[in-house]
Amino acid sequence: MNNLCTDVGYLSVNKYGEQLCGDHVEIVEQDENSLVMVLADGLGSGVKASILSTLTSKIISTMLANQMSIEDCVTTVASTLPVCEKRGIAYSTFTILHIVDNKTAEVIQYDNPHVIFLHNGTSCEYSKINMTIGDKSIYKSRIELSPGDILVAMSDGAIYAGVGKALNFGWQRQNIIEFLEAVYDKSYSAKMISNILMEQCCELYENLPGDDTTVAAIKIRKREPVNLLIGPPSNPADVKKMMTLFFAKEGKHIVCGGTTSTLAAKYLGKEIYTELDYVDPEIPPISKIEGVELVTEGIITINRVLSYAKNYVTDNTCNTEWNLQKDGASLIAKLLFEEATDINFYVGRAINPAHQNPELPINFSIKMRLIDELAECLKNMGKKVKVSYF
Amino acid sequence: MNIYVCVGSSCHLKGSYDVIQLMKQELATNHLEDKVNLSAAFCLGKCKDGVSVKINDEIICGVSKDNFYEFFEKHVLSHFS
Repeated sequence: MNNLCTDVGYLSVNKYGEQLCGDHVEIVEQDENSLVMVLADGLGSGVKASILSTLTSKIISTMLANQMSIEDCVTTVASTLPVCEKRGIAYSTFTILHIVDNKTAEVIQYDNPHVIFLHNGTSCEYSKINMTIGDKSIYKSRIELSPGDILVAMSDGAIYAGVGKALNFGWQRQNIIEFLEAVYDKSYSAKMISNILMEQCCELYENLPGDDTTVAAIKIRKREPVNLLIGPPSNPADVKKMMTLFFAKEGKHIVCGGTTSTLAAKYLGKEIYTELDYVDPEIPPISKIEGVELVTEGIITINRVLSYAKNYVTDNTCNTEWNLQKDGASLIAKLLFEEATDINFYVGRAINPAHQNPELPINFSIKMRLIDELAECLKNMGKKVKVSYF
Repeated sequence: MNIYVCVGSSCHLKGSYDVIQLMKQELATNHLEDKVNLSAAFCLGKCKDGVSVKINDEIICGVSKDNFYEFFEKHVLSHFS
């Protein structure tokens, strides 16, 4: 295992009036460091397109991940896809991004807009080899990747955005490249990049997409472990053990909870200093302990983080809120969603008798459920999550 | 004089924010900002009877915006009269 990882983020919107998306993205992880992502765009729209693209992406990703050749994949797809009655063809375009050891990308493209490769925020051309399989003309490339490199794949809905509306001919791949270079920020995650591009497409479509539109981004980044400690251990004798394990972990450390941070400060032999000012009246202020990146209150803050996380994995409309605010929940959200690639939760199961008061909305089972749900959301974002209980 | 207002989960839900705002306001009206050091505390360990406020070494529990003025008179102003 090297210290790199592949961050993947994608987003689709349906053609206006359709309930199903005719584009499909499928990701298969081969092992820790290698994955196959297929973006397929089925002929037409609605149910038929959805079936074509789902079959195409499933077949190709599964076969490639199991070391079959691209020729075999394409032949299989061609002979498996149901033939369209109206047009007499079975057809789905596709883009394959095969990332090997987080260092090399094998790009195979069939009729989708060509993948955009950003190195240090600038688009670079890459060589393509044309090959013919059956009657299909396919482009194959090999790109050496370094940390920070970004690959953006899209369905043709992206370049048709604005046709006949905001722009006469839609915006071309070149316009998308210029847009991506202009908005580039090295801190953006793959999810954020696809989000920003999609927002722009929707704007050009005046929110009435004329075609299914999908954007998928892959970003190579260094592994960034973040550790989060919440709650004292159920057995008070385990405090030292829990703290030792937590602080021995590589990466950034977040401590949540009043009692928990008091224990952490005592373990580190440092003073705890609490800010007086509420940035957000609903979120208790943060504290500072030397040697800990972030100290916040526990359950109320985590509850807010969870609602941001749920939003992030669906339509991501709140990102400006937590990206700009400085309250405890926003700071945790930024660390966990954008920075972290590996997250270790250290959860103490001590019951705070004061929280069992039925008048307070914060009893023990709620706290455990919050952590479970948050871990689930983070896994959906493609993070490696480990939860240890004490 | 040092005053710490608890902002732990329980106290927060019981109104730490209001207590801090009132405290700032009253310290200003009585021109005590130079004499009193107001800070937040993370958990004073009295979660059941919040909001807890620590004045020098004494912890006073159950402060809220309703009984704030009474509390302020008794525990803060009395020191300076």
